[in-house]
Amino acid sequence: MDVLGQDKREVFGLRTNSHTGTLLFSLVALILLLSSLYAAEASVFKKARETAMETASPILKLFSGPIGWIHDRVGDVGDYFRVLEQNKALREENAALRQWEEEARSLRAVISALEELDAYEAPPTIKPINAFVIGEANEAYAHSMIVNAGAKAGAAVGYAAVDERGMIGRLVSVSNNASRILLLNDIQSRIPVFVEGSFVEGLLVGRSTSNPTIAITMLANGARIEPGQRVVTSGAGGVLPRGLTVGVVSKVTDKEAVVELAADYARTRLVRIISYEFPQIDEIEQGAESQSTSAPNQSAVERSDDQPAPQAQAAAATAPPSPDEGD
Amino acid sequence: MASRAENLARIARAATPTLLGVFGAFMLAAPLRLFEGAVATPLIPLVVVYFWSLYSPGHLPAASIFFIGLLQDLLSGGPLGLWPAVYLAVQYVAISQQSYFLGRETHVVWMGFAVAAASVSIILWLFMSLMSATLLPLGGLVFQMLTTIAVYPLFAVAFGNLHRRVIIEV
Repeated sequence: MDVLGQDKREVFGLRTNSHTGTLLFSLVALILLLSSLYAAEASVFKKARETAMETASPILKLFSGPIGWIHDRVGDVGDYFRVLEQNKALREENAALRQWEEEARSLRAVISALEELDAYEAPPTIKPINAFVIGEANEAYAHSMIVNAGAKAGAAVGYAAVDERGMIGRLVSVSNNASRILLLNDIQSRIPVFVEGSFVEGLLVGRSTSNPTIAITMLANGARIEPGQRVVTSGAGGVLPRGLTVGVVSKVTDKEAVVELAADYARTRLVRIISYEFPQIDEIEQGAESQSTSAPNQSAVERSDDQPAPQAQAAAATAPPSPDEGD
Repeated sequence: MASRAENLARIARAATPTLLGVFGAFMLAAPLRLFEGAVATPLIPLVVVYFWSLYSPGHLPAASIFFIGLLQDLLSGGPLGLWPAVYLAVQYVAISQQSYFLGRETHVVWMGFAVAAASVSIILWLFMSLMSATLLPLGGLVFQMLTTIAVYPLFAVAFGNLHRRVIIEV
């Protein structure tokens, strides 16, 4: 027994001078930290992150399975105690949804009539990729989630991710079978948004709190933003599709408008990654310059210029709910 | 054959603290969402690092701590090297204060952990604020550290038993 203990001491270094190792590895850590800050997007670090995510994803899947199961059971138990109030809330929601259904039907009729027009060109189709949340960063200053769909499923960096309530974030790192979503409230998150009702475009900036804000200093008409207005993605910059639900303006100050997100990160489990091919405006414009007389190209240019207008009309149409319009 | 099995068992025992730290890092990356997300996930690796640096630094060498921290950085997507540096700093301080804390009552060691967690919070907050060039909100971080401090005694008892009965018992 004594011999074994002695062995262990020698083999695992129980008696080594630990300060030396600590200092040595601290130095390595600091150098790594400085270099990763200096070149955050360097391919080495990117590759390391992707490899780590890919390697860890089976383990995270293994963890998230039982966690999800327990959450379901706990949620079920909680539901039994709230059946009555939930029932009432659902009834009310159902009544409101019926009105919306009516309106959606009438709008669909209008849209199909518009689609008959020759000038109409179908917008690029959105192909969603379904994925489960298998991990998330539980740190105070890192807000991200890992989902179990990656490059093999068609995901790519920059794609938007939504859950059943609204947009949750944007893909920042994609490996073969897993991707990382940077959530909208992360300090690094910047999303071009559009405030419905006040027709203001702005940048949604993560503040590392639960609610991100729209910086008003960047805006032309920030004063028009009012609490209660809906915020959707604007599609500016050509990365995200236009019109994804982001949230509702909850508070407006001189400098910024606080947005309450539609997504509830504590409940997000199933995520849809939206792979969106943005129309290539540059190519069309070049084509239009070379053969300015050709009609299809010209109409395409006009369409790309006028893109905000139909959306704004749609927004204006949806703002005052008028269910009897279709009758 | 028996000696090989013994060897394996010995290695497994010696690697237990490291594996616990790795497990803690994975827990931080798992969608735990305690109480429907109302409670932050405790920083188990911090407890592991503090505990073993104090009671038996040889079982948790600096290389292990570096690896645990790096894993946490890689999984959370933050700047690489931040958590290794933080954990190694905790180890350095814990080892240098070992002579004071060893043999003290558990609540004294717990207070020591609270001080360590507070220092870590300040370092993290300063660093992240500096990096993002704004004063970041402290709420989430303080809440997470308080959760960690609150669960420390539970883990300390569990780790203490583990250490006494499994790791050093040969």
